[in-house]
Amino acid sequence: MLHTLIRQEILGHLMSARFLAAVVITLLLVVANTVVLIDAHENRVASYSQQAKVHREKAVAAETYSELKLFVERPPNPLSLLSAGLEKRLGTTVEIYHGEVPTISSVSARNLENPYLNLFSQIDLVSIFQVVLSLLALLFAYDAIAGDWESGTLRLVISHPVGRGAILLGKYIAAMICLLLPVLMSLLIVMLQLSLASSIQLGTTDFLRIGGIVATTIVYLSVFYLIGLLISTMTRRTATSLMLCMFLWVVLVLVYPNWSRFTLNPVGDMRPERQSAYQQVEQIWEEVDREEQRFLANSPLEGEPPRFNIGYSGSSSSSGRRYGFNMTKVNADSEPSLPHFQDYQAFIGTTHIRAAEKIGLINEQRWARTSIRQATWDERLMKFSPASLYTFATSAWVGTDIDGMLDFVGAVQAYRQILIDYLHDKDAFASRRWFASDQGAVDWWDLPQFRFAPVDVSENAQRALMDVSLLFVMNLVLFMVSFLIFIKVEV
Amino acid sequence: MIKHIIQREFFDHLNSLRFALTVIIMAALMVTNAVVHLQSHPDKVRSYSENVAGDRDTLQSRTDLYELLRKGPGKLYKQPSSLTFIADSSDAFLPDRGTQNWGSWSRTVGFGTQVKSIWSADYPTANPNSRDLRPKATKIDWVFIITYLLSFIPLLFTFDALSGERENGTLRLCLANSISRPALLTGKFLGTLIAVLIPFYFAVLLNLAVISTDTWTQLGAADWGRLGMILLIASGYASIFIAVGLMVSGGTRDTRVSLVVLLIIWVALVVFMPSTLGTLSTKWMSPVQTAHQRETARRSALDQINDDFQKRMTDKQVAKSQTGNLLNQFMDLMKTSPKAAEKLAKEKEAELRAAMANLESQKADEEELRIKAEFVNKDVEIRERLNRAHLQAQLAQVQRARVVTRFSPAAIVQYALESMTGTGLKRHLQFLDSVHLHMRQFRNFITETDRADTESLHIIGIPEGMSKKPISPQALPSFADKITFSDTFNAAILDMLLLVGLLGVSLLGAFFVFTRSEV
Repeated sequence: MLHTLIRQEILGHLMSARFLAAVVITLLLVVANTVVLIDAHENRVASYSQQAKVHREKAVAAETYSELKLFVERPPNPLSLLSAGLEKRLGTTVEIYHGEVPTISSVSARNLENPYLNLFSQIDLVSIFQVVLSLLALLFAYDAIAGDWESGTLRLVISHPVGRGAILLGKYIAAMICLLLPVLMSLLIVMLQLSLASSIQLGTTDFLRIGGIVATTIVYLSVFYLIGLLISTMTRRTATSLMLCMFLWVVLVLVYPNWSRFTLNPVGDMRPERQSAYQQVEQIWEEVDREEQRFLANSPLEGEPPRFNIGYSGSSSSSGRRYGFNMTKVNADSEPSLPHFQDYQAFIGTTHIRAAEKIGLINEQRWARTSIRQATWDERLMKFSPASLYTFATSAWVGTDIDGMLDFVGAVQAYRQILIDYLHDKDAFASRRWFASDQGAVDWWDLPQFRFAPVDVSENAQRALMDVSLLFVMNLVLFMVSFLIFIKVEV
Repeated sequence: MIKHIIQREFFDHLNSLRFALTVIIMAALMVTNAVVHLQSHPDKVRSYSENVAGDRDTLQSRTDLYELLRKGPGKLYKQPSSLTFIADSSDAFLPDRGTQNWGSWSRTVGFGTQVKSIWSADYPTANPNSRDLRPKATKIDWVFIITYLLSFIPLLFTFDALSGERENGTLRLCLANSISRPALLTGKFLGTLIAVLIPFYFAVLLNLAVISTDTWTQLGAADWGRLGMILLIASGYASIFIAVGLMVSGGTRDTRVSLVVLLIIWVALVVFMPSTLGTLSTKWMSPVQTAHQRETARRSALDQINDDFQKRMTDKQVAKSQTGNLLNQFMDLMKTSPKAAEKLAKEKEAELRAAMANLESQKADEEELRIKAEFVNKDVEIRERLNRAHLQAQLAQVQRARVVTRFSPAAIVQYALESMTGTGLKRHLQFLDSVHLHMRQFRNFITETDRADTESLHIIGIPEGMSKKPISPQALPSFADKITFSDTFNAAILDMLLLVGLLGVSLLGAFFVFTRSEV
């Protein structure tokens, strides 16, 4: 009996104008956007590899250790075309320097080609499902019970030996199958388009992530269908049910996420936090300065740091507390003071590394307490809407959420540690090549390369789990409530 | 008779559930908008006036003409519009100032001659929020409320206006009376329009009532004029969607089909088209230079003038040293055998003295100054030319993309409202124009002041070549960014005409479809 119900419902949906129209518009939007997104991705891949090459050349061009300017680039995530998250908004370039621990704020966006194009928000594929298919789910549901009621078929169906629960379940399963069709069709088209693009290679783990997104999509659409079903069981007229569904959709999908993001600000003023962080950093630098004074008091070096009275020809550069030297020729009378200069450089190098680590901790805490906390609060509040839950869950699947961006920062920090170990291995800080290239330039052949691999799928699944299970719980509650109402309702 | 139809249509809507829901949602959003504005606007105005005051103070603290030329006219801030609550979302992606510091260089050439760069215009990056971790969202401003709700709600009011009556047979009854079809359609159109606009205007009144309690937002006569235009644009936009709704409803027999068709049209036109078309159109545009390409282009252009400059300076110094040959010979002798040097000094005392005097005077050699000034100015010219070309290329892309997005009435309304408010891209372009004008005035001021001083050598770009007289701070041209009614109106006129055209087309379409359809 359930079988017959499902079959009949599916046929009814598939033949309807709404299904056809929704499928056509979904596919059109998906195809058009995929073309743009693949193109944008190819551009990003090209500029990534060019930037990586430029960074490498710049690093290897340094003739002394102190002149090293090392930048790394965040590789573009191919799955970001499904769910963009923060991927395109945040910067991609970070400088690696032993005297500074990179945080999320050190990632710079200066390599963006045309930031003015951000005026047009880019649409990812998930947002098409989010808007169009949730609307379709409500259109399937609004007359599911109320329509049968109005036309009198509900009485007929119930007069058969079939449970009310089975009727509800049959309608639900049939609608979900019909909703799944446009999702799978558009994914199929996306896969076809992707296979034609040379720049995107998807691995097995990527397919697992896409599978996760499909599962999340099903749970999301089911929430909207059940919302519609609930409204449909509660009202006796399709017109009322339709209006309630439409306004609820506008509120849940369009209004609430934007409203909560701009109206509620639970974190409040972040200036005191920033101020105290600045003060702490200031104190650390004062301590460093004192240590330097103490060291210099016992050092035979004459003159002012950082150049002292060393006579040389060559070039030097400075920014803040950072000095780069390239002495191509050192005057003969300065030669005796060079060992002391080397001692000084070794001392200042290790002191700066230590200070940078302390400052890094302070900055990390500051970001955790200000921007990251604010962003997580925004997300939490937005998650009252299933539409936002869906967005966050999918970006967690593909790794374009905040955690994904913090993973990159973690990888960059680890790379800085590798660089410091490399410099220590070469005894670079205490060597003459730190500042002078008169005995040959530094050979960077074994400079470690930066690699950023996305986290394991299981980790992504864990991050998405919370949101997906929230959606799932919504499903259960909605189904239970509509079931309870439906069995009590008079036909 | 029309009056009767309008009345009936209007009262039908007034009693319906959708009308109640519309009132609630409109009022809630408009009040939210006003409250958020009250919280955020004072900060914006305060930081603008602090910035401007700071800019002016640093500028007026410079009394030396060369110092003024070297440090430039300041950052030139954009004045926030007093109507920002109407259209605010685009300004997050546009810079709030006209120029930015890029740093400066100084170079040593030959025997200790130093050249320093002077100020050149550099444009701040458009997206200062690239470190913003907060989730992406659209601001709830009037543009959001109008583009989304004043299109969605008219469709919900009209999808069953004709198809519903056809389904339950009242349409036949109605047309059996002596009512022409156009009259019926006009009645329905006007009745629905009034029913849709009443909740909107009610919400607008609420919004303005809350905003008028704010002491930071002072609305002048011109602002009220702009508000009036904005309400007119919004009403026109709602009418377009009512006409579209009537058109689809008049052409279908099934209310469900007409609803689905309208929703699909709405999703495509309002939700996706403005952004999808914008990004889609960039695919066929000539690309903007990447950061790396820009850097290479700039370096090669600068290297060329640098080489030229170095060559001319060395030539100059070699020529100079020829007259100083004797002096060099004497200096060399001093190091190796002081006795021989003494002998030389006695023999050629007069010539040596002359060579010494020559060397002194050459320090202030005018021609050398001119070469240096030429180099410094060329450097500025190249930087500015490249910066401006890059900015033009970026803005040209955005403008072309905007032309394409105008297929969507939602985008047209957004642009029109932004222009009328004094935010968004059009306003930014006007602002850039006034920034460029001010930069010209600033440079003219320096040249004029220098020309007025008779003691100056009139070589602009080098401290030795310019007037040393202190300038009075009052004489400096000051940058004042203003939004005038005619500016905003002129920027919006194209989009307003497009809207009127669209309205005409959709009304005609509705009449055509309805008069030809079977009852």
